[in-house]
Amino acid sequence: MDANLLIQATVSGALIGGLYALMSLGLSLSWGALDIINLVHFMFILFGAYFTYQLTVSTGMDPLATALLVVPAGFLIGGALQIFFEAAKLDEFKSLIITFGLFIILQSLARTIWSADFRTLDQSLNPYASASVIVGDVAFQTPLVIAFAAAGLIAIGTRALMAHTYFGKAVRAVVHDADTARAFGVDSQRVGVLLAALASAYSALAGVLIATFQSLSPTMGVGWFGIVFPVVILGGLGNAVGNFLAGVVIGVAAGIATVVWGPLSATLVTFSIMVLALLFRPQGLFTRRATI
Amino acid sequence: MTQRRALVGFAVVFALLLAVPHLADRLDFPGFYLTFMFSAFFWIAQSSSWNMLTGYSGYFSFGQGAWFGVGVYTTAVLAGKQGWAFLAALPLAGIAALIVGLLLGLVVFRLRSLSGEIFALTTLAVAFVLGSVARIFPAIDGGRGAFMTSVPLPEFLGEFRPAMYRMTLVIMMATVLTAYLVYESRLGWGLFSIRDDEQVAQGLGVPVFRYKMAALAGNAFFSGLMGGVWALQIGFVTVEDVFNIRVPLFVILMSVLGGTSHWMGPVVGSVIIFTILDRFNSAGFEDFNQLFIGGLLIVLVLAVREGVYVRLRNRPLATLLVFAGTMLVLLVVNDSSIVWKFLWATLATLAMALVPDRLWTSLFGRNRRTDEADAEPEKVTA
Amino acid sequence: MTLLGCTGVCKSFGGIRALDQVDMSIDRGEILGLVGPNGSGKSTLINVLSGFYPADAGAVVFAGQNILDLEAHEIAAAGIARTFQIPRPFGTMTTRENVAVSYMFGHEKHSLSSAREAATEWLEFTGVADVADSPVDELTLQQLKFLELARALATQPDLLLLDEVLAGLNPSEIDTSVEMIRRIHERGVTIVIVEHVMRVVMSLSHRIVVLDQGRLIADGEPQTVMADEAVIAAYLGGKGA
Repeated sequence: MDANLLIQATVSGALIGGLYALMSLGLSLSWGALDIINLVHFMFILFGAYFTYQLTVSTGMDPLATALLVVPAGFLIGGALQIFFEAAKLDEFKSLIITFGLFIILQSLARTIWSADFRTLDQSLNPYASASVIVGDVAFQTPLVIAFAAAGLIAIGTRALMAHTYFGKAVRAVVHDADTARAFGVDSQRVGVLLAALASAYSALAGVLIATFQSLSPTMGVGWFGIVFPVVILGGLGNAVGNFLAGVVIGVAAGIATVVWGPLSATLVTFSIMVLALLFRPQGLFTRRATI
Repeated sequence: MTQRRALVGFAVVFALLLAVPHLADRLDFPGFYLTFMFSAFFWIAQSSSWNMLTGYSGYFSFGQGAWFGVGVYTTAVLAGKQGWAFLAALPLAGIAALIVGLLLGLVVFRLRSLSGEIFALTTLAVAFVLGSVARIFPAIDGGRGAFMTSVPLPEFLGEFRPAMYRMTLVIMMATVLTAYLVYESRLGWGLFSIRDDEQVAQGLGVPVFRYKMAALAGNAFFSGLMGGVWALQIGFVTVEDVFNIRVPLFVILMSVLGGTSHWMGPVVGSVIIFTILDRFNSAGFEDFNQLFIGGLLIVLVLAVREGVYVRLRNRPLATLLVFAGTMLVLLVVNDSSIVWKFLWATLATLAMALVPDRLWTSLFGRNRRTDEADAEPEKVTA
Repeated sequence: MTLLGCTGVCKSFGGIRALDQVDMSIDRGEILGLVGPNGSGKSTLINVLSGFYPADAGAVVFAGQNILDLEAHEIAAAGIARTFQIPRPFGTMTTRENVAVSYMFGHEKHSLSSAREAATEWLEFTGVADVADSPVDELTLQQLKFLELARALATQPDLLLLDEVLAGLNPSEIDTSVEMIRRIHERGVTIVIVEHVMRVVMSLSHRIVVLDQGRLIADGEPQTVMADEAVIAAYLGGKGA
């Protein structure tokens, strides 16, 4: 095996791992802090990507600039969805079925709008796709560098938000004991809505970044299961920094597997990592309520 | 006593259904009726087996596509590629799915916390992972698919359609019978107690790990076995057609519609949903299938928590009148095929079942409980 | 004759020692009061004895068998049953079905067909037979507490661990419950009772064990133990001990 190829695979894997982390963070926060396994996050990512594609194609905007529209849209829709969840008083499994239903509806909506064919931003509209930074023999693809940096900043920012702001403390209080938090004047519903909105904005941003370098198809969402769940579980629910590190680990593992055994093996490897983690370190992985 | 009566009931239903292909021959029914029926059998077996795990134990599974897919590929590889006799390969379809299921259970059911949520998510990913395994190995699929079209079937099963009908019928009856027997047993009650409060159940002596594994084994085995037969119907087996979210989606919908707390729920739900979908497709609305199903799933979870079956059982007379009445009227006035008539009768019955209990009692006053029904109007005006 | 003996039982959560080298024994046929201030480790000890938490170290021998590494259902099969501070009935079942399930499993295995019949006996014994076929969400708190008892008894245990069965009940309900516990004891069941109402503990218990910050600080006759200086200090806030 060519050493250079391995180094390149590791670097690219780590970079794309940042994106995996960003894709997983919304689900992780929603599950860890709101007790809702919100599968709609996959659709926030998918629609984020398609909206970026559509805005760029229709208006000629810079694809990254579409984030200014797409991310706030994700924020609002995610918050609205949470208001619905609160009103319907769903337990964890009912919410799972409902978000699964929404997942299916949105996926088929995406197919109706953009067809099942692959959609790719044309190079003339997307200056990022083919750009890369070269250091020595190793190429860093520009969109991946951007994704990695964004994911890292968001992970650290989210951690800081949770640790140091009133909002973060309110979230932790609600997660720890919602009734007591309410008794001390925390508006748990508003906290939940804000957190869900934030989580959805993260997923929408991940979608924007995906559109800058990948071809889009409506069934991509299903394909992400094999990546996102391992990251969420390895990272620890609701733990933003753990989630980022887990994304990098999964990204590197998938990158190396792709080089060594071919692209199809990547999901198999990431899934195996998750299974091993579940088998041997479950206690370290489920620091559910303490780490937020 | 009741159990013996139920077993007689199963035997009678089985005998009647077994006679259908002979009758079809005599009466010159279009062959398409048989296809309609054995496709319904397929879904009844899938959703009943799913319910053994999820309805009984409360562990939510998206894994139906995985067990089904393992079954499909087992016969596709053994009978389609290796030239095994079909009936020799078929049991292995169930066993292979069972092994995959138990391996997953071994990992997830040992977890002390969050094992329900982790189980749900892992099962959601597992079909996708198995799909990549199939694509990687040329001996399984290798990205080229597998042909089942030239696999010979034993002569005693008859032509292709009656043969499919007979095989799916046997597996469907075995699945529903198993679901019933579990429901009426210690195993079943142990599972129900796990569904309600696993920790308490274990504290009272329910061997929770073993019971969950048993439920998962039953689910995977019957799903895989039916998948093994279904490979024949698919003909040309590909990863995209097999390891997708269609099967778990339909199965969840059917069981939720029928009701997951009773063994009959998934049977009723499967018949209703399958009939609707089948007519949808034949009317050319395939593209809206998933849109419709996703929406229906949400409405059902929010509106009919106990499932349609329980409602129908509580309104037996209305069920009989609406269904048989619609059927009779259509037989007289309408000359469409019997399947269309069945659809309209089913939809009418479904609409009747969807009337909320409160409205129902105020309209017809049956099962009225004085404390509730009489207090209700005052509350509204107050 | 010793029914259950603990030696050196330790259990930590994170950095907190919930149980620290607890040595204790329970004689067959006695009622043992387990008391201590909030957070002293009483509930943790119940959870360890019933197999809900695995202990970090030590040994628990029940009827000659080391049960420390057994799973909760194996401990139930060995003959230990427990109740919960906050009742946790099976929500989709009726009162009778709740009891029937525990009769089917528990100490001895029974078939489903025999269980519905047998459940009646325990429902009558605990006085909730009149709500036997109601869904459990229609029961009052006291009825739920008695259902907890019926369900624990239906496992036919040798040792019954009662975790604050009286919490939340009014004085007359408490008297009924105390009477019930006496009758359970008369049937030959050994009982460990965790309780805050000292009046009840003093009158019911043959012997009292006091925990403070995970350590056993006193063990003996009720009157002697409650006069003990360390015990008084623990209850008054841990000063001077």
